[in-house]
Amino acid sequence: MNSKYRKSIIALVAVAILLTFQSVFGWMDAWAMEPASGGDAVGPLGATLHGLQSFWSFTGFANFDIRNLMMIFVGLFFIFLAIKYDYEPLLLVPIGFGVIIGNIPFVDGYKIGIYEQGSVMNYLYFGVTQGIYPPLIFLGIGAMTDFSSLISNPKLMILGAAAQIGIFATFLGASALGFTPQESGAIGIIGGADGPTAIFLSSKLAPHLMGAIAIAAYSYMALVPVIQPPIIRLIIPKKERLIKMKPPRAVSKTEKILFPIIGVLLTLFISPSALPLLGMLFFGNLLKESGVTERLADTSRNALINIITILLGITVGASTQADVFLTWDSLKIFGLGALSFMVATAGGLVFARVMNLFLKGDNKINPMIGAAGVSAVPDSARVVQVEGLKNDPSNHLLMHAMAPNVSGVIGSAVGAGILLSFLM
Amino acid sequence: MVLLLVDSQAWIITIVGWLIVFAALIVLVIVFNNVPRIMNINFKKKAKTNQTQQLSDSDDKKYLSGDETAAIAMALHLFFEEQHDEESNIITIKRIERRYSPWSSKIYGVRNFPR
Repeated sequence: MNSKYRKSIIALVAVAILLTFQSVFGWMDAWAMEPASGGDAVGPLGATLHGLQSFWSFTGFANFDIRNLMMIFVGLFFIFLAIKYDYEPLLLVPIGFGVIIGNIPFVDGYKIGIYEQGSVMNYLYFGVTQGIYPPLIFLGIGAMTDFSSLISNPKLMILGAAAQIGIFATFLGASALGFTPQESGAIGIIGGADGPTAIFLSSKLAPHLMGAIAIAAYSYMALVPVIQPPIIRLIIPKKERLIKMKPPRAVSKTEKILFPIIGVLLTLFISPSALPLLGMLFFGNLLKESGVTERLADTSRNALINIITILLGITVGASTQADVFLTWDSLKIFGLGALSFMVATAGGLVFARVMNLFLKGDNKINPMIGAAGVSAVPDSARVVQVEGLKNDPSNHLLMHAMAPNVSGVIGSAVGAGILLSFLM
Repeated sequence: MVLLLVDSQAWIITIVGWLIVFAALIVLVIVFNNVPRIMNINFKKKAKTNQTQQLSDSDDKKYLSGDETAAIAMALHLFFEEQHDEESNIITIKRIERRYSPWSSKIYGVRNFPR
């Protein structure tokens, strides 16, 4: 028999078994209730059936809702994307599994669900709702990021600012769709293409939308290799895609040590609301670059960030409980999220082309690196590298693209701080 | 005022917010464009007191490209890692008369089940 038919038959049999279970237990339910309603003493059989009925009422089958099944499929799809296509597996596997966990049907009131006070998942979720995990993730990111490409060519930092137009365009879009200013700010940050920043800001401005915002941000970050290339090809002409940039200069150790210190002072004096994020980012980087705190840097970039990624991923995934998550607002957020990534990418690319008008000779930049300004480290830089190699196999743009990429992280954190100070 | 279904406050946040992000990063750009210069000023002052001529020569070589750095690093790595004892550089293969050794005998390496 054809394997396709066999699979269909197996699926039908599974559904049939499920329905049989439901009908049999429904019948037993009625049978168990009968003597009780008649006022007679319940016999051993009746008690057994009553126990079974009680057990049945606690199972996932009895509390089954089609929306849960839909979300479980979304979780499975995330896991599929992560394993099959290697799209952000460190995020999508925990989130995908979290979506499955969060959508197992259960009876309310027994401290099981993530939204029930006192449940284990609720305690783990505390780190998300109170914005504890994102700064710790930023600490790890700081300890693993090499800012030397940025320091060697500081003008590329502006591309990281240009791409933040995605945040503000989405903010406008969300306002136009009828969201409150706080909700719009939280949705807008999806355009920053930075998961921890999105969670941090939404936990402060619109906690009820956080699940949808986090899932949208992480999904689109994982889909950066799909979203960005067509926009790059649309905006950047072939001739400009071939531009070769001069290799970055070597950066001294003193400059690398000075960067986090000067960076934290300047950015936080301008936007103090971004303190938890940028403070930890630059602190992590100082641990790395100082050269005397290798143990702390090592813990931050490995053990700590791994633990937090597990907790963050699984709880954010589990927060997508169908009854809370499947709303029209979530759909709108997903639409706005896709738009924000496109606008952010386009903003970086257009600004890179404009910058080229003022640069001469050797100093001209390959405008494709503007796409890396959307943050999403290091995926968007990797996309630029791949696109660069497609056009000229000897043109390696990764190091150049890392500069706007990491400045995008700083830019999106500053943007989050600004929205926080305007809207809190 | 409502413009494109969005009130003026949203437009203000958008424009001002984006400009502040730009301002923050432009300040960083300006500072980091000047950091090497500031660091070199100190270097120049020290050097001027000693040898002004040498400074102008070394000025061109202050920054090495990534390729040059890699080449130098490779050369140093090879130099330090490849050091070993002085050898005669004469390689000979000694013939061994007794070729059989129980240590290399195949009979000990396979199972012998009685048939």
